[in-house]
Amino acid sequence: MPEQKIVITIGEEGEISAKTNGFKGESCLEALNDLLDLEGTVTSLKTTDEFRQKQTVSLTRTQENKRS
Amino acid sequence: MSAVIKTPTPFIIKSVLIAALEEIEAEPIVVTEQVLITYKHQGGLQLGDILTNRTDYYGPQHFRLSKERWILRHDSSEMNGRITTLSATSKRYKKVGDFLQLVGKTYEKAYQEYLELLAEQERIRLENERKARVERTRVETIKKAKAQGYSVKEARKGSQIQLVLTRTV
Repeated sequence: MPEQKIVITIGEEGEISAKTNGFKGESCLEALNDLLDLEGTVTSLKTTDEFRQKQTVSLTRTQENKRS
Repeated sequence: MSAVIKTPTPFIIKSVLIAALEEIEAEPIVVTEQVLITYKHQGGLQLGDILTNRTDYYGPQHFRLSKERWILRHDSSEMNGRITTLSATSKRYKKVGDFLQLVGKTYEKAYQEYLELLAEQERIRLENERKARVERTRVETIKKAKAQGYSVKEARKGSQIQLVLTRTV
């Protein structure tokens, strides 16, 4: 069975970078959005050379520092 | 013609003033209902006044908050200035001007310590906020991942947290 894999790195300020593998088309972005609520928070999105073939994508999200 | 003037240090922050008074052994006492029973002043004392161990004709010299500044209330003549507290009987009485100058100098030092304390408290607050933010992100991500059928492996890489999520479809 095909495996979907997401590697998420949480930085010391709470910022997130994520790399996916094993997803078809843009489903990788949907999967990341389901996990991380990405709307309006992504600062960079990088599709790999294998994006079209293997549907691999990596992105970086910067954590907003909210003060209450 | 030229002139040099010097204005006294404004005593603004109560805790800093008390720290300064303690430093110079003026034995500050904040006036409460209980204190009013023990201490009398001909001009009257108010709750919140800060007594010192200096007394004059009217009673204990004290600081009172007026227009956001703590002002020393004292007998201007200093005719009867004396120190009544036993622990301070060996000290020479300082003139009000000298006393205020000493308080001012000590207040400025205490104020710097107060600023350092505030900076340290702010640093700790931001650090706790940062840790909470990272932990919140970690917990929420793991919770969502498990709910969506991923198995989660967690590893620490220095100050970073790495989550490896896998699932078969």
